[in-house]
Amino acid sequence: MSARDKISNPSGAATATASLPPSSKAHASRTPRNAPQPPPFADRFFERLIAFFTSLRLTVACLAFGLLLVFIGTLAQVEIGLYKAQNEFFRSFFVFWGPAGGSWKIPVFPGGYLLGGVLLLNLITSLCTRFSFNRKKSGIILVHIGLILLLLGQLLTDMLSVESGMQLYEGQTKNYSEDFRASELVVIDKTDPQFDTVYSIPEHKLTGTGEIRDHRLPFTVRVRKFWPNAVVVQPGANAPAGAIASGATAGQLKDALLMPQPVVASMEQRNTPGAVVELGAGKGSAGSFLVGYSIARENLTTISQDVTLDGRHYEVGLRFRRYYYPFNLTLLKATHEQYRGTDIPKNFASRVRVQNPDRNEARETAIYMNNPLRYGGLTFYQYQMMAGEAAEKAGLPPSSTFQVVRNPSWLTPYLSCILVALGLFVQFGSHLFDFVKRRTA
Amino acid sequence: MFCTLRRLASLRWPLLAALLAGCGRNDVQVYRVAKEQAPAQPQELARAQPGAMPPGHPDVSAAATTPELKWKLPAGWEEVAPGEMRLASFHVKGQSGKQADVGVFPLPGMAGSDLDNVNRWRGQVGLAPIAEAELAKLAQAVEIGAQSGQLYDLAGQNPSSGDKTRILAAILRREGMAWFFKMNGDDELVAKQKPAFVEFLKSLSFQAAQAAAALPPSHPPIDTSATPALGAAAAASDSGKPSWQVPPGWQETPGGQFLVAKFLIQGSETPPTSVNVSMSAGEGGGLVGNVNRWRGQLGLGQLSDTEINKLVTPVDTIGGKAMLIDMTGTDARTGQKARLVGAIVSQPERTWFYKLMGNDQIVAREKAAFTTFVQTARYP
Repeated sequence: MSARDKISNPSGAATATASLPPSSKAHASRTPRNAPQPPPFADRFFERLIAFFTSLRLTVACLAFGLLLVFIGTLAQVEIGLYKAQNEFFRSFFVFWGPAGGSWKIPVFPGGYLLGGVLLLNLITSLCTRFSFNRKKSGIILVHIGLILLLLGQLLTDMLSVESGMQLYEGQTKNYSEDFRASELVVIDKTDPQFDTVYSIPEHKLTGTGEIRDHRLPFTVRVRKFWPNAVVVQPGANAPAGAIASGATAGQLKDALLMPQPVVASMEQRNTPGAVVELGAGKGSAGSFLVGYSIARENLTTISQDVTLDGRHYEVGLRFRRYYYPFNLTLLKATHEQYRGTDIPKNFASRVRVQNPDRNEARETAIYMNNPLRYGGLTFYQYQMMAGEAAEKAGLPPSSTFQVVRNPSWLTPYLSCILVALGLFVQFGSHLFDFVKRRTA
Repeated sequence: MFCTLRRLASLRWPLLAALLAGCGRNDVQVYRVAKEQAPAQPQELARAQPGAMPPGHPDVSAAATTPELKWKLPAGWEEVAPGEMRLASFHVKGQSGKQADVGVFPLPGMAGSDLDNVNRWRGQVGLAPIAEAELAKLAQAVEIGAQSGQLYDLAGQNPSSGDKTRILAAILRREGMAWFFKMNGDDELVAKQKPAFVEFLKSLSFQAAQAAAALPPSHPPIDTSATPALGAAAAASDSGKPSWQVPPGWQETPGGQFLVAKFLIQGSETPPTSVNVSMSAGEGGGLVGNVNRWRGQLGLGQLSDTEINKLVTPVDTIGGKAMLIDMTGTDARTGQKARLVGAIVSQPERTWFYKLMGNDQIVAREKAAFTTFVQTARYP
């Protein structure tokens, strides 16, 4: 039995019995009556569980699998793109494999969530059981806490961070950004002359046909049909081959056709869902409406339709999911510089004004390369731009698009690195101090 | 032991709080917002399809791409800054301060029927609206950038000023866009400029759309630097394109919206005979719906399931069974005799559509190559 095993099994009895040769087991079964009884099954089970999760072998195995996962996940990006590779290899408990065209898949490798989760448990249980909190071990404990924080921080980032985009034309003001991938079905009550009440239903609730139940909705919303990726097209002989009738019974898009498209998974493309939703129920039904996106001048166009129900005026439609903020951002100037005599972009810069009525705050700032705007828990990165000659050619006013990132745990990697560095410094420093002390003595 | 479990249990609340916070994003949300003001950018998209798309589009992202056009400037024409909704503008000056204005208007989709547009222009020169039957008599065939379009010559009086006014307007529909070319001004000057206007139309050359400016190479890495452009439509990508042996004399050209591929048959006259390949997820409207749509493009009436099933021929292909149909009629866009050979290949999750359409003699010549092309296509 190794020294490590002795540490992880302080009671020793059950494990030691299991590892004895057969002859010794027979001898053990003839122990006298007054010999100590083995611990109950539950205790033995928990001890083995703790022994498993505190095992250094588990740490090494997790790290080895992690290395392999990063390697094969990186290679897979060539074929399936970054977004899909992230989801299949790193944001999953298992990596699945199935034959091409087949309908079944089997787990073949641990995914990022499983490896990260096990490693986190391994670190936490080791920290709690192996190390006594004393000065000599303080460095090691700090290193472990730093690593635990790193893993937890990544988990929180994955769960809580939101990335979206905000496109502004010069002079335009917005207080919301739009999701790069997700859509939402919105029913907007326009009856109030000053405010709109928005009922937002996330896209994933539309995927299963049936009634969407929520007491806050002003009326029943029933999903009749859903297409994960489709585009609304005009009816008639010139409609593209493959366009289908939606089955809508009301609204301006009642006769429009829908062109279903295969679901895309690459980072460069987005799915544009389409759905037929019935608003209201029974005698109070306003009919089934087709909601979706159309394409105009190679850009996605959201379509909203008017509905009057129970004496109130609503608009219904699908749009990119919006995230509203308590402040406004106005694009004052978009500057697109190129290297002289070439079309190569040199610099994108946006002059913006931030206005926060709650704080009576209004200030101007610039967003450009390496200089994002951090405000209200959000980070605004310069992302895309249509300005200068390109905007003039297009006959459009200059515009700028910002990538808006909300990551509540953005500080955790920095904090964990500081803790790990501090832990290593304390650990090696104390060794050095002891060494010097012994030499001096 | 229990001390250890207690330590582990102490972490449950932060984890649970984090989980709940994460999950809350995916619920139905209700909130009040101030009424949106009209977006600052041009409203051309909302106005472009008056009959098709409802008003009140919230914030259409129109910045990513735009069609480009090249032309040979006729003598005496002066290029000026394009106004709203225009891709290009020109001024033509005549004697005694007379002036004419030329504008190029690219609009998405059908942008209203020809009759609607012609009647609107007629109203601008004080003429009464006409019926559909009279429209064909007014239309003059004209070459617009190697493609066939319709030219309308409308003369009358300006309802406001009473001056003699003439409008020359040409319409071309290509790749999901309606192009309008319009000369408007003094009757005598516009009439005199008509040959120059026709030459201008002939000289046009359509360029691929210009992509949005990308981040400079030195831009710092961002977490998701490859996220899709906000609002940019996903073009048909090459990744889902079948591999095939392109027959000689077929030239691949940029496809329009929803087209996986488009080939022009070399040597075919205007309008060119072409092969379009498109794909739809699922059944894509089925055999009957699509054959009837093709029949509409040839000015033919709708047929029942039974009648269509008699007309189609099943053909074995590498990708599965294809249904082939051959029809002759009149091209609804050009008014010329045309033939269409279509093939529909159904697969479990998607359906492929092949259409060879154009001059009947060229279609007859290319039919065998087309059939082989369909039969040998290998799907991703």
